[in-house]
Amino acid sequence: MNLTLLAPILILVALSIVIILAGLFLKTKQKINLGYLTILGILASLAIVVKNGFIPAQYLFYNTLVIDTLSQFFNMVFLIVAILVAIASLKYYENNPNQDEYYSLLLLGTVGMMIVGSSSDLITLFVGFELASLSTYVLAGFDKKDPRSLEAALKYFIIGAISSGILLFGMSLVYGITGSTNLAVIFSTLSTSSAASLAVIFLIAGFGFKMALVPFHMWAPDTYEGAPTPITALLAAGSKKMAFIAAFRVFMIALIAVKTDWFLVFAVLAVISMTLGNVVAIVQKSVKRMLAYSSIAHAGYIAIAFVVVAYSLENAQLENAQFALAGGILHVLSHGIMKAGAFIAVALVGYMVLSDKKGPALDHIDSYSGLGKRAPITALMLTLLLFALAGIPPTFGFYSKFVLFLSAIRADLLWLAIVAVLNSALSVYYYAKVFMTMYWGEPTGGRIKESMPYVTAMVIAVILIMVLGIYPEPIYNWAISSAGALLGG
Amino acid sequence: MFPYISVLLAVLLVGAVITFLTRTREQARVVAVITTWIGFGITLIMALKYDPALGLKNFEESYTWIPSIGIGYHVGVDGVGFPMALLTTLVSAFCAVYAWGEKLRPNQFFGLLVLMDLALTGVFVSLDFFLFYIFWELTLIPMFFLIGIWGGPRKDYSAIKFLIYTHVASVIMLLGIFAMFYFNFKATGVYTFDIVALLNAYQALPLEPFWKNFIFAALLFGFLVKMPAVPFHTWLPDAHVEAPTIGSILLAGVLLKMGGYGLFRFLLPMIPNASNLFIYVIAVFGIVSIWYSAVAALAQKDIKKLVAFSSIGHMGFISLGVAASIAIGAEIPRIFAQTGAMFQLFSHGIVTSVLFGSAGVIEHHTGTRIIEDLGGLTKKMPRFAFLMVAGFFASLGLPGMSGFIAEFSILVGSYPQLPIFVIIAVTSIPVVAGYHLWAVQRAMFGPYNEHLGNITDVTWYEFAALAMWVFLIILLGIYPMPIFDMMNSTATYFVGSVLPTGGIVP
Repeated sequence: MNLTLLAPILILVALSIVIILAGLFLKTKQKINLGYLTILGILASLAIVVKNGFIPAQYLFYNTLVIDTLSQFFNMVFLIVAILVAIASLKYYENNPNQDEYYSLLLLGTVGMMIVGSSSDLITLFVGFELASLSTYVLAGFDKKDPRSLEAALKYFIIGAISSGILLFGMSLVYGITGSTNLAVIFSTLSTSSAASLAVIFLIAGFGFKMALVPFHMWAPDTYEGAPTPITALLAAGSKKMAFIAAFRVFMIALIAVKTDWFLVFAVLAVISMTLGNVVAIVQKSVKRMLAYSSIAHAGYIAIAFVVVAYSLENAQLENAQFALAGGILHVLSHGIMKAGAFIAVALVGYMVLSDKKGPALDHIDSYSGLGKRAPITALMLTLLLFALAGIPPTFGFYSKFVLFLSAIRADLLWLAIVAVLNSALSVYYYAKVFMTMYWGEPTGGRIKESMPYVTAMVIAVILIMVLGIYPEPIYNWAISSAGALLGG
Repeated sequence: MFPYISVLLAVLLVGAVITFLTRTREQARVVAVITTWIGFGITLIMALKYDPALGLKNFEESYTWIPSIGIGYHVGVDGVGFPMALLTTLVSAFCAVYAWGEKLRPNQFFGLLVLMDLALTGVFVSLDFFLFYIFWELTLIPMFFLIGIWGGPRKDYSAIKFLIYTHVASVIMLLGIFAMFYFNFKATGVYTFDIVALLNAYQALPLEPFWKNFIFAALLFGFLVKMPAVPFHTWLPDAHVEAPTIGSILLAGVLLKMGGYGLFRFLLPMIPNASNLFIYVIAVFGIVSIWYSAVAALAQKDIKKLVAFSSIGHMGFISLGVAASIAIGAEIPRIFAQTGAMFQLFSHGIVTSVLFGSAGVIEHHTGTRIIEDLGGLTKKMPRFAFLMVAGFFASLGLPGMSGFIAEFSILVGSYPQLPIFVIIAVTSIPVVAGYHLWAVQRAMFGPYNEHLGNITDVTWYEFAALAMWVFLIILLGIYPMPIFDMMNSTATYFVGSVLPTGGIVP
């Protein structure tokens, strides 16, 4: 067994233990160093993951973990999001005496996501899921004096627990049918039956909650709005993507093995998710809530990958299934970076409105009035990130949508592509409202000092989005070979 | 060969970035003027080196970019694209002079102007759909901000309507592009977004009628909204009324040309394989635009809105010319109609710049654009009156000016193929002349309206910019050959090789 392949996970686990122990001995003022340590650790981990990006699949721990291009790709997504969140948190929790616990939980949450991304067994997958969920439940309620944060955590916890139950029930049905929790064994033994269909329905519902697809989305806006903003970034950009990788791994098997018309189920979920997300986002006054609904819409876009894959497999177009899956994977990455960056910008605005006290509610759109003059860097970065979310070229957000929508046309699903592009065009409306407020609203206060950590995190996100948008070749190749790894196996 | 186009794009990109970074108004406007004039200079050099016999091989550059899905950096110009690129750099360069007096956020203003120049030039030189679409969408952003920050009272509504309306049209067009990509891939097994390759594939492939029409209709919709043709025009008057003068000039002068350019670059080569019905569709859109805009312009109180409607009418002539050049008939009139339509694109670009520039001068100097509140401006602004009246005459099609050449060629060239449509179009001419003359008469002549107080004549930079445009209008009205020949050779190629038989007998 080659433990160096697990090094990225092991580094983070060790680091989280070190941090929580060191926290016992450090004064609050010194604890910020733990934040820097966290960032360094994640960077090291990211470097290893990227270096081993293209490796043939290797199974570890008696076939419960698999390290292949797909798992490496998603590990990269989680690590990039974690690093952005950690950088922004340096300032957000600068004087918090419990910083050590915060960073430790952040690392453990990331580890959970990485385990989900690398699991080839339902039990490992579930354990990883729970590790990530438990860490993020606590993180969502980390501002324990703020009732909104508590409400967010409670809602998230209750819904999370129920959905875990549903998921587990689906998994137990699968186990009952096949007698194994190993995905490869399930793949070879599962066949069409009513019990299998029932299992898939439970799995769809369970993952649907985690992915925040309509109609399983109710918790998401409240939780995203109430949670501390850097954690919102982690939830929307990281833990939601964990559900996607889990669903990719599990459903590909179910889809290939259980030959039913699943594509229509996913099509309905995708269409109502993006439509409802976009329509409801239009009327939001809170930017944070608006971004929460936009992330539901984006979950709908990613779900297009499921639709097209299901449809292509039914029609034996393996190449297009791979293409669509690559589009979904790319959109997971691009949405992760964009959303993390955008929420960090929101965190910065909230932070600075807090410092001048008299503004409207922290994340209300009016706080953004005249931001172009008050905080020019933040305004510019947020504008670029919102352009990317809206799918305006030449950003990476455009490229990933480009591949996704193209795959829908290739699969002969014209109606789906039309719904998707019209939705994408509709979303421009509410994003545009934000930069309209920022650039031609009257400033509500003086110039603001934009703190370094936030700006660094946003600039990293924007640079990634632009560079990957202008030269997507390497990342596309990675995504397509990840998709190949999944469909081939 | 020297990469003229890449150098041009690079100069504009660098210039835009530098302009955004400048600190003072002085720096911003100097950088912007220098950049746009260098751009104009480069296109002038290209004009001297342009070889009509080469077609799209002129200044061609082709590199792979994202080979895994067949995207390349492919640029080149022919008799359709090059005059448009020339028009873009020309209008932008004059605009930079015209805007010399801008005081509000000058670095952003001039930066957006140069960015607009870049995006529009990019649209006209791209020969890869991915690259083309990037530039096509990039044009929206500077215009959105120009309207939004420097616009009038209802700027929020207008800016967002402009953005959403044209963006929807763009994404529909994108679906058409996807479908072309897919069918080409299905037939050949090659991923490519190359414009020439896909257009050839569209002609060569046996497509199902549904997809054939879908692709054509999706692209047509994208272009008709951009032009705009009635009834997809409602974003335009709103955008114009609220846009700052420079925004209006770029919008009417160049941005609308993207729609007309699209008809020539993409739809003409596709016609032989598309449904014949589309010839009528395009012609009807043209006629409706011509008449509707003429009648609507008569009723306008705001001089800028009047000018905006006149633009819609002029674009209608282009649709008519395009339809005539693909309908069945003799080769000579079809070439003539097509060349006229291309020339109209160029000519309208400079004519409408003068009109919007004049409306801007009136607004800056008198504080109003309502025609009834003006009157007798010639007495206070004699130098301005000369330029403005020249612009209005050019717009109504006075012989000796560029607009006449264009519309005359379109009408003469269209008559053999589409006689009824031409007759309907010709009958609109008195109305068109009427609203132009009536507006000039009320605004410029008669007794001076004393409510306006003491106003000054045009500033030197406004005068310089307007005078250059007027000079070009007259020059091209008397001697259109440099540009007309360029277009003529491309039109001859289209009509002769791409569409030898034409469409149906009307």
